[in-house]
Amino acid sequence: MEPFAFTCLCVLALAFALGVVLSKNAVNGAMCLLLCLAAIAGLFIELHAYLLAFILVLVYAGAVVALFLFIVMLLDMQGGQPWRFRGMQALAGFVAAALLVAGLDTIAVRGQLGSGPPAPGEVGSSLKLYAYPLFTTYLLPVQVMGFLLLIAMLGVIVLSRRTGEADGPK
Amino acid sequence: MKPTLDAFVLLSGALFAVGFLGVLVRRNTLVIFMCLELMLVAATLALVAFSRFNGTGDGDVFVFFILTVAAAEVAVGLAIIVALFRTRQTIQVDRLNSLRR
Amino acid sequence: MTPLDTALLVLLAPLASAAVITLLLARRGSAASALSVLAAAIVAAGSLSLAFGGGRFSGSVEWLRFGNFAISLGFRYDDLAALMLAIVAVVGLCVHVFSLGYMHDEPAKARYFGGLSIFMFSMIGIVLADNLFMMFIFWELVGFSSYFLINHWRERKSASDASKKAFIVNRVGDFGFLLGIILCYWANGTVGLGELGAAHAAGTLAYSRLIPLLLFCGAVGKSAQLPLQVWLPDAMEGPTPVSALIHAATMVAAGIYMLCRISVLMVPQALLVIAWVGTLTALYAALCAVTQRDIKKVLAYSTLSQLGYMVAAFGLGSAGAAMFHLTTHAFFKALLFLGSGSVILGCHHEQDIFRMGGLRTRMPLTFWTFTVAVAAIVGLPGLAGFFSKDAILALAYDNNPAVFALLALTAILTAFYMLRLWKIVFLGNPRSEAAGHAREAGISVTAPLVLLAVLSAIGGYRGAYPRGFEGILSQVPEAGGATHAVVLGASLFVLAAGAAAALAFYATDGTDALETRLPGVFGFLSSLRTSFDTAYDAYVSKVQQRGALILNFIDVVGLAGVVVRGVGGAAEVVSSGLRALHTGRLGNYVYWFLFGVAVLWAYAAGIL
Repeated sequence: MEPFAFTCLCVLALAFALGVVLSKNAVNGAMCLLLCLAAIAGLFIELHAYLLAFILVLVYAGAVVALFLFIVMLLDMQGGQPWRFRGMQALAGFVAAALLVAGLDTIAVRGQLGSGPPAPGEVGSSLKLYAYPLFTTYLLPVQVMGFLLLIAMLGVIVLSRRTGEADGPK
Repeated sequence: MKPTLDAFVLLSGALFAVGFLGVLVRRNTLVIFMCLELMLVAATLALVAFSRFNGTGDGDVFVFFILTVAAAEVAVGLAIIVALFRTRQTIQVDRLNSLRR
Repeated sequence: MTPLDTALLVLLAPLASAAVITLLLARRGSAASALSVLAAAIVAAGSLSLAFGGGRFSGSVEWLRFGNFAISLGFRYDDLAALMLAIVAVVGLCVHVFSLGYMHDEPAKARYFGGLSIFMFSMIGIVLADNLFMMFIFWELVGFSSYFLINHWRERKSASDASKKAFIVNRVGDFGFLLGIILCYWANGTVGLGELGAAHAAGTLAYSRLIPLLLFCGAVGKSAQLPLQVWLPDAMEGPTPVSALIHAATMVAAGIYMLCRISVLMVPQALLVIAWVGTLTALYAALCAVTQRDIKKVLAYSTLSQLGYMVAAFGLGSAGAAMFHLTTHAFFKALLFLGSGSVILGCHHEQDIFRMGGLRTRMPLTFWTFTVAVAAIVGLPGLAGFFSKDAILALAYDNNPAVFALLALTAILTAFYMLRLWKIVFLGNPRSEAAGHAREAGISVTAPLVLLAVLSAIGGYRGAYPRGFEGILSQVPEAGGATHAVVLGASLFVLAAGAAAALAFYATDGTDALETRLPGVFGFLSSLRTSFDTAYDAYVSKVQQRGALILNFIDVVGLAGVVVRGVGGAAEVVSSGLRALHTGRLGNYVYWFLFGVAVLWAYAAGIL
């Protein structure tokens, strides 16, 4: 059962990812991204990281992709311009991607990551197992994240201020 | 395919490569951004897989940070794109080349 | 005040005067002149009190240090320094007072007196210096002062050319001097005069033949010996008091003084070279003086000739004789120059002797003091010059008969041209309007003349000098017995022969008798005078200019072209290559990003 689910989820994730890349319409691409994220959430559950799966769906799929959709609707009003492959460039892109995959796989194989079973230790079972390291070992990164978010917020406010011209979409 | 660590790493690598392909090939800035997010998610997947197969919780915890950074990055990036659109009236990358030469 | 304090005051008073004049009094001539004369008076008072006071001292303080190499500044006040300092002070004061009258109507008086003060400072520095580096520093300062003062009337091209020539020729000599100092330091480890003396006594001096000759180069430049004598006649472009002070009595004597200071370093071979250089200079200058028309140029060549005497005396082995002649020469040559200044002033700045004449009755004081000076220089018995010249001739007779013969010949010529000058300027009838209206100038002009005349008269007698100078005066050779008689007879003979020939030969009718009656001889002597200048000109234009052009070519093509612009060109190539990367297309940048990741990967995997 498990291998079957795993295989399905893998295929779905890859397919939807390709959909993001190859779709002509930006909105279609966003929807494909959404579904890809759903597949990956499934994979997280497969890996017993339940909290992370939920958070992925809530934050990523819920907030980030939604934001993407908003902006796509806001900006892409010229209508979906048909997008074509342009010979040389596309070929170069495919080659680059293929090399990347080959490289990563080489690492996986050479590193002998093993095809053994997962190690014991129920990591994803309770919230405490996430919270405890966050507030002890990784306290500094958490605080830095706070600063990061503050700066991002300030940056967005500054960037979205109008510079005085009256044109542009409201 | 059995869910071994090899498989997860291979999948993560493949997703990353697909995202990278998107960044290289697409001309719409927003779609490029979405492919960037795809790359991030691929990395997240690899982290969680390693964390599960090593038995430690560190990888899982790190995903929090990646998620936070991704969210902040998306916010700021989209704000930049909107500001760019306001001045340039376009988001096609091959027309946004005023830094040329 | 201790002697050291007095010496410091003597050294620094003129410097203070020059500084104040430059900074505050640059437009106020009378205040500047008063200040400068005051400084000269302080110097005179200080030096004479030190000389008569009898204190002898030395002391030094370290000034710069670079690792093992140190330059120190110090005073070395022994009998030699005492004598030289007294001469500089007395003659300096006379010239300062004379300048008050001579430069009275001059617009740039303040600059002139500032220059005089800085010269006094530099000269006293040379006199008091206790090591060769310090002496070299003040040596260069004296050269600068000379340049500054020759160039006083700087609107005249001849003056600025002459000052440049003086400085450059001096520089050539100083190059040898500096090489000698460096060699001395490198070989002996010290340039302090006291330590060198001790090393000589212990017999441990190295490079003993080369160092004195190199140091002598400095004297060749500064004291205008052959072949660097070309600057002194041209230096007469400066005002007459400057010629009196610098180019007759003190600065040119600095070379002799320096030689006496380093007499411990001398070896017989070097002394032989020095003696011959001095003798040939004396003879050459005397031959050139015979044909001059300008009163100051005659005196300039006379100075050259007498300097040759001093150098020859040193070369024959007696620093004492050289210093004695230096002393008497300072007195009567300064008197001759100041007297000529008075004559020039009286004839309304006329310097051609064939347009003077008849001044005996119109300027009596000048006439009599000038006569005393002429008598001293030709060696009339009883006056100062007789004794010092006699000492040199005696020395030459004992040591080197060839030199004796040449010096005796030069003495004849000296008498010849000096009497020529005397007769044409003062006797006969006035040959121009200005000479007819000549009058004596004021007291500031005549008082120094009288003082110097007195000194020229009594300067030959040892009793006239204070006890303090014993150390150096005792080195003056006294001729004994047969030598004495021969030399006395010889000097009387040359005096009589030269004087009689001049008085008989030259007429006071406004023409140069030699030119009219023996044009061949006249032509030869004139060409002798310009020969050196022509030779130097040819060397500079043919050899040196070509070398300079080659270097210029290397500089323009090689350095500016290849190195400077080449480096710039290489940077341009690289930068235009890098500029091609700025395509402005996002895709390209991402590819480069991938390339960088691949490189890092390969490095991490150990492939690279």
